[in-house]
Amino acid sequence: MNDEQLLRYGRQILLPDIDLAGQTRIKNATVLLVGLGGLGSAIAYYLAGAGIGHLILNDFDRVDWTNLQRQIVHNESRIGVNKAESARQTLVALNSDIQIDAISQRLDKPALLELAQQCDVIVDGTDNFASRQLINEISLRSAKPLVSGAAIRMEGQLSVFNVTASSPCYQCLYGNSANDEQLTCSENGVLAPVVGIIGAMQATETLKLIAGFGQTLDGRLLLLDAKNMHIRTLKLVQDPHCECHGLRGSVLLSDAQSGLP
Amino acid sequence: MKVYIELYASLMALLPPGTQRFRREIIIDEGSSVQQLIDRFSISAELAHIVLLNGHFVCGDARKQQKLAEEDSVAIWPPVAGG
Repeated sequence: MNDEQLLRYGRQILLPDIDLAGQTRIKNATVLLVGLGGLGSAIAYYLAGAGIGHLILNDFDRVDWTNLQRQIVHNESRIGVNKAESARQTLVALNSDIQIDAISQRLDKPALLELAQQCDVIVDGTDNFASRQLINEISLRSAKPLVSGAAIRMEGQLSVFNVTASSPCYQCLYGNSANDEQLTCSENGVLAPVVGIIGAMQATETLKLIAGFGQTLDGRLLLLDAKNMHIRTLKLVQDPHCECHGLRGSVLLSDAQSGLP
Repeated sequence: MKVYIELYASLMALLPPGTQRFRREIIIDEGSSVQQLIDRFSISAELAHIVLLNGHFVCGDARKQQKLAEEDSVAIWPPVAGG
């Protein structure tokens, strides 16, 4: 680590849990962040600031006026710009010392899996169940831990999935039952800082996984009710009926190989 | 018998108008199940995503069988996917 980096990350290196060894692990890490909305804004900002050496940002959406209330990595001059690219521009201005790749296409399963295999941690900042289930599958197949957060209205949830073969996964918590349409921010509204609280917690869990300290939310689910400012953490166990655990570390078969139409 | 129900986040709207607190004391029949308490507030299976009995997770299948006891506390959270 050079003098500039020692100065920049000094307040973090001061922490005994991080120290030079931890900061070096953070510098050498690659994180895949899917979704650069409200959660992704806080996640990306803090991970870039903290010195994650390589950030891969993926979002196919474009910035619009309704986003600016809470998606703080974007700004007025970026209206119409792809969100991954807009975030990249903001983060480069914050920290030119790290590598930031913006991917502006909607990625299919094989492409996402290829990216996941290059990274140390996957962070989910998406806004719908279908994407979340896909990212969970990618996390299982690549055997890379998944830091998952969600927020809407004045409530949020946070957990860390797929750290070990006995960790619960997103599917264990949500199954296939959830109905997307009723649960998006655009339909239900969201209080601006609530996505920031959950996003900042996701960044914290990501740094813990990478630097290797503390107790992560592996096997636990954190629930935030911001309206009453009530936080509760509960135990989460692997669902024995969850079908996706056979997926851990398994290769992706093409549709022809797997016999699907 | 007396039990407590905690409805979090948007589920608070199901409590009587003017209710400010998310925790509420209610009287139910002896031997009532967790599911009967959920039904009393007309909370759909989809919205009753996370159900805790005295802080312990009660999965969907167990809600019908799990009986409530005096002073039990049931907390219910809706699903969340936004970002």
